[in-house]
Amino acid sequence: MTSKRRIQAIAVVVLLLVFPAVSFAQVPVREEQLIYSILAFNGRDYAGTFTTKQAEAMYLKADVDNFLTVRKTLVYFWPITQDWKTDTSALNVPFEGRLLLVGPDGKDRALESTPYTYYNVRGEYELNWKVAKGPEADQAWGQYQEIMNAYWASVQQYYQERAAYEAMLSELTSTITRLRDEGRDVSRLIEVLRELKAPPEPQYPRDYVVPPAQVSEAFILNLPVGEYSLRFETLEGELMQGSEIRVVVFEKRRAEGVGLEVIPGDKWTRPVESKTPASVLYVDGSADLYLRPFFQQEYNDLYYEKMRQNDARGNPNLMKWVRIQQVPQAGIEISGPGRATQVVREAPFYVEQVKGAALGYQIVPFDPEGAHKDREASLRAFHVPLTAGDRVVRLQVQDKDGQILRSGGRQIRVVRPSRAGILSLILAVLPLVAMAVVLLRRSRVYTS
Amino acid sequence: MNERMNATSVLARRRIYETFISPGFYIAMSLGLVLAYLLVSGFVRAVDSSGLAFGLNPLYDLIGRSLEGAFGRTLVEKLFAEGPFVFALYIGFLPMLLYLAVSSVFRFGLEKKIGALELLAYGPADGTAGFLAAFLKDLLLTVIYLAVLLVFFAVTAALNNLLLGPTFFFTLVILLFVAAAVYSYGVFASTLTDNSASAVALFLGLMVFFLIILMGSFTIVSGYVRNLSTVFAWVVKWISPLFYWNLAMQAVEIQGWLLYAVSLVVLLVLGAVVLAASHFILKARGVRP
Repeated sequence: MTSKRRIQAIAVVVLLLVFPAVSFAQVPVREEQLIYSILAFNGRDYAGTFTTKQAEAMYLKADVDNFLTVRKTLVYFWPITQDWKTDTSALNVPFEGRLLLVGPDGKDRALESTPYTYYNVRGEYELNWKVAKGPEADQAWGQYQEIMNAYWASVQQYYQERAAYEAMLSELTSTITRLRDEGRDVSRLIEVLRELKAPPEPQYPRDYVVPPAQVSEAFILNLPVGEYSLRFETLEGELMQGSEIRVVVFEKRRAEGVGLEVIPGDKWTRPVESKTPASVLYVDGSADLYLRPFFQQEYNDLYYEKMRQNDARGNPNLMKWVRIQQVPQAGIEISGPGRATQVVREAPFYVEQVKGAALGYQIVPFDPEGAHKDREASLRAFHVPLTAGDRVVRLQVQDKDGQILRSGGRQIRVVRPSRAGILSLILAVLPLVAMAVVLLRRSRVYTS
Repeated sequence: MNERMNATSVLARRRIYETFISPGFYIAMSLGLVLAYLLVSGFVRAVDSSGLAFGLNPLYDLIGRSLEGAFGRTLVEKLFAEGPFVFALYIGFLPMLLYLAVSSVFRFGLEKKIGALELLAYGPADGTAGFLAAFLKDLLLTVIYLAVLLVFFAVTAALNNLLLGPTFFFTLVILLFVAAAVYSYGVFASTLTDNSASAVALFLGLMVFFLIILMGSFTIVSGYVRNLSTVFAWVVKWISPLFYWNLAMQAVEIQGWLLYAVSLVVLLVLGAVVLAASHFILKARGVRP
């Protein structure tokens, strides 16, 4: 080995030692796999997931449109988030063919891919999802394009008008300055300047909460409850190896539940949910509560979790409540000892930073005409004032007609550690005292 | 038959008296109550402006993490939805259940081993009357302990402004029926074996086995482990008191009162069947090892 090569070899070794992070960096192993890419409706919105080759089944909600594509891509396990991911930038080959589905009745049926799009139109509350299939999909997409084209055209026009306005403003200003310097009367031009109005900025279309996705093709599965067997057949009529998978189609167990989103006044970014009917909200009473009642549905924990993310874990023996959408135009009846019964309505609130060096914020009623002009409300909720002196506050959620909703009742109980709690400990050790008395008495009986 | 009932009654009264004048019952009771106290007071300390925050109390931090890791968030949410009492009830009940069951199993095995049962059998009683007396004693003391727990929790709830929710009361009733089935398995283990150690080992083994089967079906899993557990559980669950406990709890959740009542009846039937099996085993094997 020449001295030059020796120096190069040493340099490489030194580099490897100096940068161990480089030499030992872990890159997840990507494996080429056939996957089912799933866009499943979970009762609230559409969420994407996929099945790896290890997946025992895919889970879908019954009687709603779910979209499937079959593709080959790179799959890897990402240890940081502990889940499986796809690398579609490196490999993403969709397959054409048809799906063969065998239902609980044992009958075969074939599914062809269909053009589709899905979108959520703006309504009073969240649940306004629509699915357009076949020609309707193109129509929905076209309608969205029209709205957007009209918007962009109005934006373009706005910029032209704005430029003309600014040019006129500049010209008028310079003319007024010049005439004033010459000592001439400018009152007419100042009047014109005053009347000059800037063109209004066009508003972004508010028709959609989630706009239609570009039309693409997928197999649409809208199935009744049951277990199915699914496999993929290519255009050549051959079954794709590794495409066999079980499909579990499930339904909610109960739907009449009402849950509450609870936003504490001092932690408004960390809301909690009270989902279990008859549950009690235990709080320390240090902050007011802001509530939002919502309808919820009950699903099998494992099925629901796996529908949202196929490699997720869940509890097969438990049912969980899932938030669907806010109760429209609800009211919350508040009552309790020392409180007059009142019904509160949803109101806008604004979160203000506390003035001074101290960190923190306070939630105040939103004042669109005064202090919060030209701003948006931070949250809309039902305000339940609380103090540490409150012991029990009873809540009943009402629908828009003022009818009390079943399973919408809750209790808020203000608890704080107190010295009286030690009485419980004394009670707990009382049996030992009784034991001492019994043993003492027994020893006396036997010794006498 | 009447003679056996009479012998059972006399033996049961004697055993209850012996339990009351020995320290074990009081220690188990106090241990259960102290555990329950720790759980309730920990809960109160783990409440902040938004509700139960497990991280605020070291004990609850540990409990929350352990339960959530093993069984998932949904179970934890449900367990503490009405407050600390359902969980505290289970934990507080466990020492007494173990004490009563294990002490009876041990004693029955010992009496068999040293010939005390044989001595009784020559007299007015027989082996069946012996184990029925132990069973009755355990059942009665369980009722007493559950009443003590109820009073204790009611006082603790009043002191801390907590609520004993409906699930708590349904759980309280279920526990009595589950305990009856567990005690009958204790009798069963005693009649099958020849000495105390084997009887206790068999009994605890059976209970752990039932528990593992139940926990296996509750554990958050994915893949074939769940299937394996489910298949295994499906075979064994019909003879497990814990399966019927779970069924009754599910009935409470959906307010299926018929299913709840049926679960309780089936627990009684299970206990009766196991006791009947024990009777025949004892008859076949005799009261002497």
